[in-house]
Amino acid sequence: MKKGVIIFALFLLWVLLVAAVIALPPMGSSETPAYTHVVPRYLEKEVEEGGANNIVTGIILNYRGYDTMGEVTVIFTALICVLAVLGRENIKRHTSKVELSSVEKSVIVKSVVRLLAPFIILFALYIILHGAESPGGGFQGGAILGASVIVFTLTFGFTLGMKKFPLKYRTILESAGPLSFFISGVVALFCGLNFLTYMLPCINHAYQDLVRHLLLLIIEIGIGIGGGTVIGSIFFAMEKVEKE
Amino acid sequence: MLRSLDILLLIFLLVTAIGVVRTKDLLGASIIFSAYSLIMAIVWQQLSAPDLALTEAAVGAGVTTVLFLIAIGRTVRREDE
Repeated sequence: MKKGVIIFALFLLWVLLVAAVIALPPMGSSETPAYTHVVPRYLEKEVEEGGANNIVTGIILNYRGYDTMGEVTVIFTALICVLAVLGRENIKRHTSKVELSSVEKSVIVKSVVRLLAPFIILFALYIILHGAESPGGGFQGGAILGASVIVFTLTFGFTLGMKKFPLKYRTILESAGPLSFFISGVVALFCGLNFLTYMLPCINHAYQDLVRHLLLLIIEIGIGIGGGTVIGSIFFAMEKVEKE
Repeated sequence: MLRSLDILLLIFLLVTAIGVVRTKDLLGASIIFSAYSLIMAIVWQQLSAPDLALTEAAVGAGVTTVLFLIAIGRTVRREDE
């Protein structure tokens, strides 16, 4: 009896979902609202309204500014949750499994990482700073920055990694993402505009475009550095083991 | 030419996706998952979404694999061998 009711309820749900899918416009059709209203607006007006030559960057920072701010906050919250469960590492108390193992680290790996690490970081900075002009941006560059921290720490040991990326700087830099968004967003309030507006008509016309680029750049750098340190800190928190 | 590359990539994607689920060994599964992410990054690029491709390559293939490996290193194997 109970089973029958459940099956009937599931069947009803299935019918409802299938009906909803059938009611959707066909996949890839040019009649969908997204193609008739949203996409043309983005493609035609983004460079003028959003201020970034890379349309994707313009969309995520400008039209979808609130969503991106939420994402940045989610990343920060994820770090807080990891730290709440696992706790911060301590340079005096903790070491790592890799460091404790007796396996000698390969010379090839060490040399390659030593040679490549500066270029990886340079590439990450290029991705962050060039995000408005070409594919890339804060999230991508930040992930590469975090990956460079991880590869350095895995190769040269946990203790040296903790020394090179000290906790006292990371604690501040982790919040860079949400903070930079908040600071850039609040600027518009002084002009009497909505939160997260980058085009400010209340300043001299000649500087408006420059200020907009500057605000976008602050956000990109903030997301990049914040994301990179968050990834690094999660890695440190997971990798640590107690010293005997 | 490009079409056949796309089809090849999608076949690889399917094979790795099934491989991740079917592999019993967690270490092997996470390495296959990293390969899956790498192929997915190329697929994003083929779909002209380079922004996503960069994210997928850095986060999917790089960072999450390391985090998975650390997590596996901290667990104990309990299944019957």
